[in-house]
Amino acid sequence: MNTPVNTPLSAPLIEVRDLQVTYRTDKVATRPVDGVSFAINPREVVGLIGDAGSGKSTTALALLGLARPPGRITGGQIRFDGRDLLTLPDTDLRDIRGRDIGIIVQNPRASLNPMLRVGRQIGFAYQAHNPATEAEARKQAVEMLRMVGINDPERRAEAFAHELSGGMAQRALIAMALSSRPKLLIADEPTSGLDVTIQAQFLDQMWQTVQETGSAILLITQELGVIANYCDRVLVLHDGRIVEDAPVRQFFDAPAHPYSQEVLGLRRSADAAAPVREGTAAPLVTLDALTKHFPLRGSDKVVQAVDKVTLTIGKGEAVGLVGESGSGKTTVGRCLLQLVPPTSGRIAFAGSDITALPPTEMRALREKMQIVFQDPFDSLNPRWTLAQILAEPLKIHAPASAAAHRTRAAEALRLVDLDPALLDRRPRGLGASTLQRVNIARALILNPEFVVLDEPTSVLAPRARTSLIGLLARLQAELGISFLFISHDLTTVRYLCQRVAVMYLGQIVEQGTVEQVFNNPRHPYSQALLSAHLFPDPTWRRVDHPVREALQGEIPSPIDVPKGCYLASRCPHAVDACRAVPQVLEPLADGRNLRCARVVKGEV
Amino acid sequence: MSLPVTDPIPEGDPLTLAPRSRDGLLIFGATIVAIVTFLAVFGPHIGPYNPTLTTPRVAVPPPKFTEIPSTLIGWINGTLPHAPHWMGTDASGYDVFSRVIAAPRTDLTIALAANALSLTIGVFLGLIAGYFRNWGTEVLMRVSDVMQSFPVFISAMVLVALAGRSTTNIIIALAFVYVPIYVRLTRAEVLSQTSRGFVEAARALGQPEIKIALRHVLPNSMTPALIQSSVTIGFAILLTAGLSFVGAGVRPPTPEWGLMISTGAGAIILGEWWPSVFPGIAISLTVFGFAVLGNALERRYEAAQ
Repeated sequence: MNTPVNTPLSAPLIEVRDLQVTYRTDKVATRPVDGVSFAINPREVVGLIGDAGSGKSTTALALLGLARPPGRITGGQIRFDGRDLLTLPDTDLRDIRGRDIGIIVQNPRASLNPMLRVGRQIGFAYQAHNPATEAEARKQAVEMLRMVGINDPERRAEAFAHELSGGMAQRALIAMALSSRPKLLIADEPTSGLDVTIQAQFLDQMWQTVQETGSAILLITQELGVIANYCDRVLVLHDGRIVEDAPVRQFFDAPAHPYSQEVLGLRRSADAAAPVREGTAAPLVTLDALTKHFPLRGSDKVVQAVDKVTLTIGKGEAVGLVGESGSGKTTVGRCLLQLVPPTSGRIAFAGSDITALPPTEMRALREKMQIVFQDPFDSLNPRWTLAQILAEPLKIHAPASAAAHRTRAAEALRLVDLDPALLDRRPRGLGASTLQRVNIARALILNPEFVVLDEPTSVLAPRARTSLIGLLARLQAELGISFLFISHDLTTVRYLCQRVAVMYLGQIVEQGTVEQVFNNPRHPYSQALLSAHLFPDPTWRRVDHPVREALQGEIPSPIDVPKGCYLASRCPHAVDACRAVPQVLEPLADGRNLRCARVVKGEV
Repeated sequence: MSLPVTDPIPEGDPLTLAPRSRDGLLIFGATIVAIVTFLAVFGPHIGPYNPTLTTPRVAVPPPKFTEIPSTLIGWINGTLPHAPHWMGTDASGYDVFSRVIAAPRTDLTIALAANALSLTIGVFLGLIAGYFRNWGTEVLMRVSDVMQSFPVFISAMVLVALAGRSTTNIIIALAFVYVPIYVRLTRAEVLSQTSRGFVEAARALGQPEIKIALRHVLPNSMTPALIQSSVTIGFAILLTAGLSFVGAGVRPPTPEWGLMISTGAGAIILGEWWPSVFPGIAISLTVFGFAVLGNALERRYEAAQ
């Protein structure tokens, strides 16, 4: 399908000039949006990218003539269809909101009224702008739900918000936003918090639906992959201003602004391929049939978080563990460090079994194995200074004078490219990227042999993510530490890791070298995961190439796991045998392990 | 990134009024608390009369509004036969004003001590209940439920009746009543803090559980209990007064608001309203001040979160 990549000659649909939004508090006024100018043409998909706090969401709201208190639109012009929205009376503005400009915000469930059936809510949105009877509105709602790809829309229209999954709730919001066929749809990080396969399903659907309704989209995101695969043009927002406005290919090939160049830094070096190591390293950490069940309160059922995971991490090796949320990858990391006791299975570290180690011996061993958690704001004690935080592991494992500890803390900060002057600061007021570096410094201060990195980059903005990954790659090369890198971001895993294991519903379904799994995935789930992953490269835009490996539906509940293959209900290759027989992880000739009988037998 | 902008803020901007009025409440509450604290230290010495000694003038009404200026001038010039009774005297001849300003020493001391005791015990038990969740702490919580389900006033009365009427016993009774509140409050906060990343990080570093509880969880779980203190102190003053009112509190002639209301109450039907109304106003203002301060602090804490 061809889409206008270059600016068409027709008049723009919306034209924003010098838009300013000012926030006033008691004494100071700040301006998160400070002179933003851009235009969107009819039927165009425009991406808006920028760091957290760069003013993206504020800009989006301002396009509707709105600002969150205590903010106010204090200047500029928004011309939409020849009228200036900012001078329009409220009644006219309300007509435009929802009818001509639709908006989808983050957090789909919170945006749906929990007391109203979904169909009725979409009907209300429709009736707000179109004279329609109840019956007509309902018909329209069902029609919209069908259009956004919801199976059995008649029945789903009767559902309440809590009965829908995250992906489905997000689709219902699109249905609502598009029910009046607006000329412009603003989507503010519509897929944040969704899993990659659901994200791809959703964005595909949104893209397809707007092709039918003829709307233009302003797509706000932090993901370069989303931009590359769905947008015609890119706007880069930095410090409240648009610093770059370029067609998508030009943006990825030759970014003009230094900020854009920094954001795109990782992608470029990732092309140069991850470091390859010779031979197989001696095993440092071995997991043997590790299983973790969480008992369900008030029932004898269990949540099967991890199911017989067998994995080896060699000395100096970085192994990626990928999968969607709920696949059990985080639990593997926590079991491995004995933060939660495994239900069964064996964990060995440096040749000795540590599964049932007495607490005191385990505590001593923690010097050698560390973990970096996902949320940097949460994993540092807010009352302690960085010096105290970094000295904590030293006090436990390497008692010395306070001055000696302080020197080592300063060294640790320098190791992660931070200024030792920060030692007396507390976490409050420091950015996510700085805090995550402190986390890494704390994990590394005892010179461990092995570190679990549990989604260390998932809350970071694109630029910070790029530089943190660069840091981790450098540390691994310099210090020769073994990493278990848990992530759902395949771009990062490809850049950092030598081997990768793909998890689905607590099981490893495929395991091999990064080249094997990324260039030629064999398991249907790995294939789907990779095809759903939005690599930040516009040459193979997803919207230009219909995807075949798409998975149907959503991940089953880990409480009632299927009898046969866990993927059978979603797999395009499933046959009756798959649904009946549990699958086992078998080695293939090229050295990888695979959990799919049909692929192993060569049937697929 | 937001840029500081230097243009002036228009006066009376409705968007800026809300935070300012909350600051106003904070200042109002803090002022009352400061005055009461000052009186607790100096109150018994700065009144015109000894609060525990009677005067020969019985049931003198306070000066009328119109008389206040002339009384004041006479007092300053030293032409009055004796210092004026600004709030009158009661049926026994005590100067009401001197006793009203002397009372905070009794009331606030009891309230502060009771609060300190219940805060210490409550926070400690709350930490244990929230951090180590097992059948033992489950029992602890059920016991605290039972304690809390008794009407506060009745339990305090019974306790004083059983243990005897002394300041110490009143303090213990009040503390007993407030412990469950602190246990519950701290436990809730501990529960949310224990699931935070830095607790797990400390565990991953090999920090022993007891040190994690004391160094990481406790300091981060204290704020709600400390904020509750302000409200508790206010209500403890009310309860102390209430106990004295029903005869289960401090003994006369100790200057104490509740006792003053109680002894003055009988004379109200005779038109002698002043011995009980003035201490009543003092209690109301004090409890209100502590409650407002607690409320304002709580909002600040929530905003900071």
